Amino acid sequence: MNVETSYSGSTAVAVVDGRIDSANAKDFDEELSAIIDRGVSSLVVDCGGLNYISSAGLRVLLIAIRKTNEAGGGLALCSVPDHIREVLEVSGFVRLTKVFATADEARASFSK
Amino acid sequence: MDAKLDLEIGLEKDEPRKAVEQFEQFALEHEVPMGLTFKFQLALDELLTNVVSYAFEEDAAAPVITLALRLTDGKLEALLEDNGRPFNPLRDAPAPDLDLSAEDRRVGGLGIHLTKAFVHGLNYERVDGWNRLYLVQPLGAHQEDQT
Repeated sequence: MNVETSYSGSTAVAVVDGRIDSANAKDFDEELSAIIDRGVSSLVVDCGGLNYISSAGLRVLLIAIRKTNEAGGGLALCSVPDHIREVLEVSGFVRLTKVFATADEARASFSK
Repeated sequence: MDAKLDLEIGLEKDEPRKAVEQFEQFALEHEVPMGLTFKFQLALDELLTNVVSYAFEEDAAAPVITLALRLTDGKLEALLEDNGRPFNPLRDAPAPDLDLSAEDRRVGGLGIHLTKAFVHGLNYERVDGWNRLYLVQPLGAHQEDQT
């Protein structure tokens, strides 16, 4: 797993790739927490390179959704591969966060 | 086409990943459809993670976790066994309420929910101090031309 983040004011886009499971969910949590702790309230997680996520990773996303909601922004996902999207649907996460086709669309959703 | 893979799983945090990556390689070699491999891998990961995290006391005398995978015509089977505390994930894990908001959602329970959704057949039994969880997944039409 690797996270590369670009910042623009209180909005950030975190591009995540690889695999998130119980072995590295803590690292993922630390990455997202560090981003939010820098004052980011609107966070886009770009899943274009994400090839695997288990419930341990979903738990981290849920925590980040709560934190960004609390901060008055939110968390959006984009570029989600089909098999990952199915995980999000089955786990009900599509009701907790919006999923966009591209990072630009996701980012734009926060400026409305 | 018959194939099998038998694994012993340790209690380290990265053991479930090692095991499911070996399963992934096995499935790839035997041309199991990728979508099915992903779902089965996720289910094994969730179940193994539960066992590794919760089945044993820290001072457990001789913890053993094994995973037996079988690919026979038309179906993929797995038998996950451990000699940890009795736990039937199919019955004992609370179902998550997917209608709750992010604020009200419990963070647990999703792994078993995904497992039940992604695996066709699941069966649990407790036998002589062992948890035995059996998983079966029909391979579907894709496999027919190889038998």
